[in-house]
Amino acid sequence: MSIAVYIHSAAVLNAAGSECADLLGTPPSSQPLAFDATRRAYPLPTPRLASDLFDRKIQRSVEPQGLRLLHCVARLAPALAALNLPPARIALTAAIPEVDAPSPCWDAVQAIGEQPQKPLAQLLANTPPLHALTLLNSSVMAYVAEALQCHGPMGGFCSQDNAGLDALIEACQQIVEQRADAALVVSSSPNLTPALYLRDPHQASEAMYGEGAAALLLGLVPAPDTPITLRIAGFARGYSADPQRGAAVGRGVIDRALSVEKLRLGDVGQIVANPEDAQLMSLIADHPRDVRSARAMTGDLGASALLTEIALALHHTHTASATPGYTLLVSHSRAGHWGALLLASETMEEHT
Amino acid sequence: MRTREVYVTGFGLVAPMALDAATLFERICQKQSCVREHPRFKALGFNNSAAGFIDDGQWQQIAAGFGGNATLHPRQSVLAEFVARQALQHAGLTPTAFAHARSGLFLGANKYCADSHDLHRASRCMDETGRVDLDQLLDTPAASRALFGRRVDQQTLHLAETLGIRDHISTHSDACAAGTMAIGSAYRAIERGEIDLAICGAVELMANELPYYMFNSLGALCQADLPASEQSRPFMPDRCGFVISEGAAMVVLESAEHAQRRKATPLGRVLGYANVCEAQKMTSSSRDGSKYEECMEAAIEDAGLLSSAVQHVNTHGTSTQANDSCEALALQRVFGECQEHVTFTANKSAIGHSLAGSGAIEAVLSLISLRDGVLLPTLNYDHDRTEYPSLKFLSEPMRQSINVVMSNSFGFGGVNSSLVLGRA
Repeated sequence: MSIAVYIHSAAVLNAAGSECADLLGTPPSSQPLAFDATRRAYPLPTPRLASDLFDRKIQRSVEPQGLRLLHCVARLAPALAALNLPPARIALTAAIPEVDAPSPCWDAVQAIGEQPQKPLAQLLANTPPLHALTLLNSSVMAYVAEALQCHGPMGGFCSQDNAGLDALIEACQQIVEQRADAALVVSSSPNLTPALYLRDPHQASEAMYGEGAAALLLGLVPAPDTPITLRIAGFARGYSADPQRGAAVGRGVIDRALSVEKLRLGDVGQIVANPEDAQLMSLIADHPRDVRSARAMTGDLGASALLTEIALALHHTHTASATPGYTLLVSHSRAGHWGALLLASETMEEHT
Repeated sequence: MRTREVYVTGFGLVAPMALDAATLFERICQKQSCVREHPRFKALGFNNSAAGFIDDGQWQQIAAGFGGNATLHPRQSVLAEFVARQALQHAGLTPTAFAHARSGLFLGANKYCADSHDLHRASRCMDETGRVDLDQLLDTPAASRALFGRRVDQQTLHLAETLGIRDHISTHSDACAAGTMAIGSAYRAIERGEIDLAICGAVELMANELPYYMFNSLGALCQADLPASEQSRPFMPDRCGFVISEGAAMVVLESAEHAQRRKATPLGRVLGYANVCEAQKMTSSSRDGSKYEECMEAAIEDAGLLSSAVQHVNTHGTSTQANDSCEALALQRVFGECQEHVTFTANKSAIGHSLAGSGAIEAVLSLISLRDGVLLPTLNYDHDRTEYPSLKFLSEPMRQSINVVMSNSFGFGGVNSSLVLGRA
């Protein structure tokens, strides 16, 4: 890339905790779901928003996945403010699963049960007036933009696992193409509601979902006083609905992400990937020792998984044992999206 | 001169009372509204039953053109495929073209909302106490798919599989700006050299009970005691809310090289695009229009043009007091002394507001204006009573050759986007 883009700061919220370091702790226990005790997952209590940053009505009107995202991104406010940039130069991109329309309607479902002869009347009577806004992913983005004063280019992506990479690439390109000097990239997992499991029963039977959120601040400069920086060194994405073509697409995506720095897979010190994805693992079979994943700590965070892994990679650069090197994050959605992101950990001297 | 020019080589469209773009364009030229009384809204006793909606007759024809059993697929997917087929045919492409090129699919859509048909299906699975028996519901595939199998990206995944998209698919849920953002994202992907061929646009089916109720609760819908066809009256002093609508539109975009290689006839060009988040207020922009102004100027700058080069603007023009006021002020600021050389139209006056679909539909209508040199009237517009006399809105169709059109979409939450389109 012609312009270097750094991961400046990160914030996470998931079952492991609200600090990146928590992702290195003891794995939390999965919990039985409240609506189906036979299934286990990593749910989160709905967080309370900081009242100094967000209007109180937001706490009442935004559903849990949005609140998790807002709670998480709020912790980047000081770092963003310290950059002292005009709001128009700060981009905002988001990976948000579709707002889970059936879930705000569970009250209505219950009301319909009490008066089943009038289902529509009960549905309307039990739908909150602001439901139209909670239906829209852009509402959550607007709350972020308002609270953190980022009024530059924006882009919202949903709803598969790939949305995190789409949002990150969009943010990175806005900076590289000089439309912004910094970018907030925000993401949330889907809510653990019956709808998530009923929507795609086959997928749900395999997945151990988790709830969480992650937010990154990208910038033209790394955070001050960091001996080792984390730079976005390359990325690529691909898609194939045809599983037969999947491996070739995945291999091509990895090669393209590495090619920017003229690397081969063996040059990468750390690979981040879902170890349960057999097709993905077959592509990196020569490097099994180098593969890690935070999934065991968080569950499957969907659209928030990639940003959570990046946050952990940033945390690694802050530890005393951090050394320069490359980390390759490879993702593969069930729908057929492939993505690869190359991060370079470098000493400050390498930039001067 | 851009590094890679982006051509439009085909488009497809379905709107209320129109199964293709030419029919819709002609209807608006003849000043025929697509807004009617919605029979379900009327039966429910809603105060105002006006809506733009795809009726049963249209659905039968859409289903007949579907490649499989339409009853087994959600309507969003059936509609997406119908519109995509139109666009491909218009572009002279076969469905396999996307499997043999560096290709992408970019679709805007907002959340699927359950409607009364879905509720009726679910009610069949209620037990004796009135609770929905989920096991029974799940054993009824059509009912369970209808209620739970619909996701915001369902039509994207369906089309991606049908067309064999090779490189990139994404779903944009940016409220009323989603369609424009999908087209803008595809344009950027081609311009950056990531792909050579894209199909992009939006599919929105919101003209049903729950969205009506919700938007009405916000005070966003027109409740005037006027005939349905007269309720959407953008930029008029007596405007009082939008009319909910639905529809879908898609365009085929190609790099100039790709289009030239296959000897495709360009219908227009995408020249510039901007998308910004202003977050002034959830349901309205900055009152002085400055945020809309910034968005439009960024798009014009992205196109490498001056505002004086823009000859026609397809406004967002929802017919709400706040949006139209902000947009009018912004247009006055952007065009300043050039205003008299610019004409304006507000397609929602005829179609209503199809949310995500609106930006894509309006982009297609703008492309026809560029191609045919015919500018569309704004229905229900009265020059003698207008609030913004300096803006030359057309109340009759006008034949005039133009080179550059700007199409605006401004969504809830301050999601603003503008697209600059040029003649081929």
